[in-house]
Amino acid sequence: MREFGQNHIRPLRFILVFAFCLLFGFGVLLTPQVQSVDGRFSQALVRLSHGLLLACGGHATRDGAVLRAPGGFAVEMRDGCNAINVTILLWSAILAFPAPWSMKALGLAAGTAIVQVLNIVRFISLFYLGQYSMTWFEFAHAYLWESLLVLDTMVVFWLWVNRVGRSGAAIHAGA
Amino acid sequence: MPAPKPQIRFLLRGSALLGGLLTLWWFVLLGPMLYLLKGAGEVFMHIEETPNGGWTLRVPLEKTLPATPQHPFAQQIHSIDFDMPRSDTIAFTFSIPVYWAIVLAAPGLRRSLRPLLLGTALMSVVEVAMLLVFAGITARNVASQLGGTGGTTGDVTGDAAGQWIRHVGEYLIANVLPYAVPFVLALSLHRELRAAVFPWGREAAAPAPTTSGERLPRRRAKR
Repeated sequence: MREFGQNHIRPLRFILVFAFCLLFGFGVLLTPQVQSVDGRFSQALVRLSHGLLLACGGHATRDGAVLRAPGGFAVEMRDGCNAINVTILLWSAILAFPAPWSMKALGLAAGTAIVQVLNIVRFISLFYLGQYSMTWFEFAHAYLWESLLVLDTMVVFWLWVNRVGRSGAAIHAGA
Repeated sequence: MPAPKPQIRFLLRGSALLGGLLTLWWFVLLGPMLYLLKGAGEVFMHIEETPNGGWTLRVPLEKTLPATPQHPFAQQIHSIDFDMPRSDTIAFTFSIPVYWAIVLAAPGLRRSLRPLLLGTALMSVVEVAMLLVFAGITARNVASQLGGTGGTTGDVTGDAAGQWIRHVGEYLIANVLPYAVPFVLALSLHRELRAAVFPWGREAAAPAPTTSGERLPRRRAKR
């Protein structure tokens, strides 16, 4: 009976905490104060992408969160394009999973870094794809890359859960 | 050369399947799926296709709009019409190929048939539900704009809270749920995938360890 309860309580607790963190995260994200921080974060990511492009021999100009190609094509990193949505998904999953806080901190930091690196790859690839074809840009921007980012986020979470398990802290942790 | 980790195999298979199935959806399945979605949506509201491929939705909504300087008398409305661009309608069909890609990338292809069929049916219901919620939120936003601050009651605080909830709901439905729901559904329905990701799935399939810190044996669940 106790085993039955344990087997059902853990997933149920995970689902409830995950849903709460998700709603709380997006609720906070959409406040005006956080939206302004979010905008500045997007600008910082575009600055980094621009620097990487120039360092690799590419040509582009930057204006705030807009990256412009010499041919006239421009791409803007708007709200939702800075991978903050998938970061909230990852954070909610990590915070909901029973693991020690040190492991959670490691997962949050490393996971966020991986997601953001992938998002910069995504942004630069979209910058070049848009110069080639707007149809493919729309497809890749709204659907393919977004889904791939969520898939990557799930795999990052899976790898972290495995690491927590290897450390022997996963199932018996009370956190 | 050592075999890649299951997570990396899943990532590679999932990425390839996402690329293939989303391309198939974009070029072949999108038209039929939009047709079916429109048919399902028409059970609950009136939908008309516009020449540019978007939809005009008529959402039933009973509301009394207060008097304004432009309209000196209160108005009773029974429905709200608004246009939905094609790019917005497309978003309510793409979760299904994403779901297929995740389930087919999961370990145990033969055992994926049941979750594939069941999940496709559930995903279709979820897509229609998301369309209805999106239409409901948009209709209330339009009614709120038409009626100034707070419809019949003039309750500014209540309407501000309502607007905030609608804003979060609209954001979740447009930007989060279409991407996240296929993954959540796949983890819920695909037993092997769930057991691979979550330790409690493995615990249920394997005997309990003798000591509290012992690593659990990895087993494939057999049916």
